[in-house]
Amino acid sequence: MPGGRLDERRPVIVGVYATEQALALPDRSAMSLAIQAAKGAAADAGLCLADIDGAQLDWPGPGGVPDDGSSWARMFGRDLRWTSDSMLDNSGVRGLLKASAAITAGYADTVVVGGCRLVTRGPDNSPIGAGAPVEFADVWGSYVVAQFALVAARHMHEYGTTSEQLAQVAATIRNNGTTNPEAMMFGRGPYTVQDVLASRMIATPFHLLDCCVVGEGGAAFVVTTAERARDLPHPPVAVLGGGMEYHQAPYANPALYREVGQIGKDAAARAYEMGGVAPRDADVLCLYDPNSFEVIRQLEALGVCQEGEGGPLAASGAIAVDGEHPVNPDGGCLSYAWNGTQQMTLKVVEAVRQLRGTAVHQVPGARLAAVGTAGSGAQHYELAVLAR
Amino acid sequence: MSRPVPVPDALTAPFWAAAARCELVVPECSACGLRFFVPEPACPRCLCERWEYVACSGRGTVYSVTVVHRTPGPGFQTPFALSIVDLDDGPALLTHVVGCDPEKVEIGMPVRVVFRRLTERIVLPCFTPELIVDSGA
Repeated sequence: MPGGRLDERRPVIVGVYATEQALALPDRSAMSLAIQAAKGAAADAGLCLADIDGAQLDWPGPGGVPDDGSSWARMFGRDLRWTSDSMLDNSGVRGLLKASAAITAGYADTVVVGGCRLVTRGPDNSPIGAGAPVEFADVWGSYVVAQFALVAARHMHEYGTTSEQLAQVAATIRNNGTTNPEAMMFGRGPYTVQDVLASRMIATPFHLLDCCVVGEGGAAFVVTTAERARDLPHPPVAVLGGGMEYHQAPYANPALYREVGQIGKDAAARAYEMGGVAPRDADVLCLYDPNSFEVIRQLEALGVCQEGEGGPLAASGAIAVDGEHPVNPDGGCLSYAWNGTQQMTLKVVEAVRQLRGTAVHQVPGARLAAVGTAGSGAQHYELAVLAR
Repeated sequence: MSRPVPVPDALTAPFWAAAARCELVVPECSACGLRFFVPEPACPRCLCERWEYVACSGRGTVYSVTVVHRTPGPGFQTPFALSIVDLDDGPALLTHVVGCDPEKVEIGMPVRVVFRRLTERIVLPCFTPELIVDSGA
């Protein structure tokens, strides 16, 4: 494997699970989906719940204490050594890296990360998508799509990125979902660039089909030590490196391209150096795609191409499953699923499936994956480099 | 339902009071001099908790703009030009550029503040394209 030997406590992912992802799951509670995700990931890892000594899971109730991760301790048949209380610490790459830090340091041996929040049903679905009122944003009709649009518009102005290039990203990733039976948009499409451009305008430059789906579902994964992974059923997926960047709190201020255009660059540089690999080495990229443009921005920030070259690169076919830099073969948030915070966990799930060789749209021989999670108008970014 | 109306608090009440007098004010750090927005408990550059509102010229440049067709909730007339304006003598603000076709608002366009009443208590600092006086040269 790239990046050197596995030592005993090297964090590895040994179990993944995604619940059904749908526009709405009216018969399911967030708690039920979170339990299903946690149990599913443990079972996939060949573990029982009592083998798990750390939980980074949201507690959506009832019972317990909302936002208090230790509420999970009573569910695992044993006391826990490690919990986490914040929703973004309980999902995706941020959750993975914090669990990995705990495992490497020895605070816990086996941590489950994930859960479920039903943002479409609760107060989280307020205008901006952030929960609490935001005094200087809500009044202007600003919301998450518009805040990303302000970043995209500036990039287009500076580099000549076109709506057609954005539409090519949307069509490529959406068409991966068209043929993924697990995707919310399975069977819809395929879409052409013209289809995307002809869909109704949401906030320039984003048409409806440039924007991700919104739905419900849960997901989880299990991280443990390389030593513990040896007698588990799946080949372990190693966390070679990672990095995190936080620019500012979400939504209160608009994301300015000059401040967030390169967010992820430092995290990526750190993650790739740790892993001893280069950005262009990744066989598959699982990136945050709340809209078409954010993929172009990440291709640049993560060093796959130079700043300003992401549009032409994406339009060249490079991000297709059979391209040089496949992005989101599962259909991503654009077509597979966006379910609130756990969409980030789905990025880890897809990367692990790719590295195991069991993905729906398998990149042949994938051995190295880059997983990026972000949000909040691209005001934070986390990147992990994973390897089989 | 109507458009969300700001609920001023201890940090923001002076901003809205000034806007109601058709003045644009922003926080200025008493230690490092940074002018910033939104109002925060401390300066976002040096963490100094002492700052005061100072008046701005109200002139600036459009840094970015999106024409919003689908709004997050009711109460907005669409389309509108949601914009980030770089103040000539202050920070960047989220605002609307009004007084012209939203599709005509361009990045780099010089703008100046114009106040639009939202409610009896809340007046919004919007921006409008600056009238360019041709020197005739």
